[in-house]
Amino acid sequence: MESTAGFQKKMISCSLLDQGRGTPFRPGDAREWTPEWDKDKCIRCGLCFVYCPDGAVFRNEEGYFEADTDRCKGCGICHRECWFGAISMFKEE
Amino acid sequence: MDKYSLYVSNFLPCKEYFVPELNQACPGCGLALAIRQTYKALGMSIEKGAWASAEHGKAGAAGSGHFGTGATDVTFLTIPKARGKLVICCDNEAGGSLADLLEKPMPQLAASQGFNYVATACPSYPFDLYDKMKRAFKSTADAYVHVLCPCPPGWKFDADFTVKLGRLAVESRAFPLYEAGAGAYGLTVKTGKPRPLADYLKAQGRFEKLSEGEMAEAQASVDRAYKHLEGLIQQYLDAVA
Repeated sequence: MESTAGFQKKMISCSLLDQGRGTPFRPGDAREWTPEWDKDKCIRCGLCFVYCPDGAVFRNEEGYFEADTDRCKGCGICHRECWFGAISMFKEE
Repeated sequence: MDKYSLYVSNFLPCKEYFVPELNQACPGCGLALAIRQTYKALGMSIEKGAWASAEHGKAGAAGSGHFGTGATDVTFLTIPKARGKLVICCDNEAGGSLADLLEKPMPQLAASQGFNYVATACPSYPFDLYDKMKRAFKSTADAYVHVLCPCPPGWKFDADFTVKLGRLAVESRAFPLYEAGAGAYGLTVKTGKPRPLADYLKAQGRFEKLSEGEMAEAQASVDRAYKHLEGLIQQYLDAVA
């Protein structure tokens, strides 16, 4: 999306039709913490994938799991529910 | 199969039906989790109406007419199916008192209103919820599923405890999981030795001012409701036998 550059063209900040949002919205925008998978501990059971409320966790080509940074809100449910403590949350700078 | 039951999540469909632009839920939203799992079970894309009614719970409740919801606000999703409709009540207990929380007459009301399949579910037990949604969708007439959705800002707990809180609610027997109809009747998650209700209530900031007396009263009320439910199930089994 060419959103920030197109101020003059689109006037996104003044849009009234877009449910009162000033800027285009992605669920992951306000994230504070980001999950990180430890491949040594992960057994690829997929519980993080099941319990993610936003559908952000997906399986990559190797069969391990990853979080889509556009969708992840950093709630930490995957970190809490992982049986093996393979997921840690780190703070993005 | 038991040996591999931990891997059962790998058999769920991988397709996501969320449209990210419409997902404005808080981090750790139990309602979003329930909706995601529901639509995964039904294999349908989430229409804009689902999110709209999720945001305006009160309007949804008023629009659906014939239920008395008590003091709590709930969200209704009505999904048309081949025969009849599937009504999903997403209950996040907004604005309810302790008494409203402990007594949930709606599933039993629905059973008396002629719904073909009635069940309670919780996203903390995803495979249970998944099976119930599939069964409800396949049932021959109207179906009703009552889903408990833990709400981090409403119940005042940290966002990462959503699934844990749902599990506490079931384990302390405050929200027993059962189903009736479509060839199945009875509890689906058995709590042999229940947790004390205090575990569930003390995990939530909204009940931090509760006194010991009120806590004991609530425990008694939960025990009474559970005994009533067990009585109903026994009655049904006796009638069938």
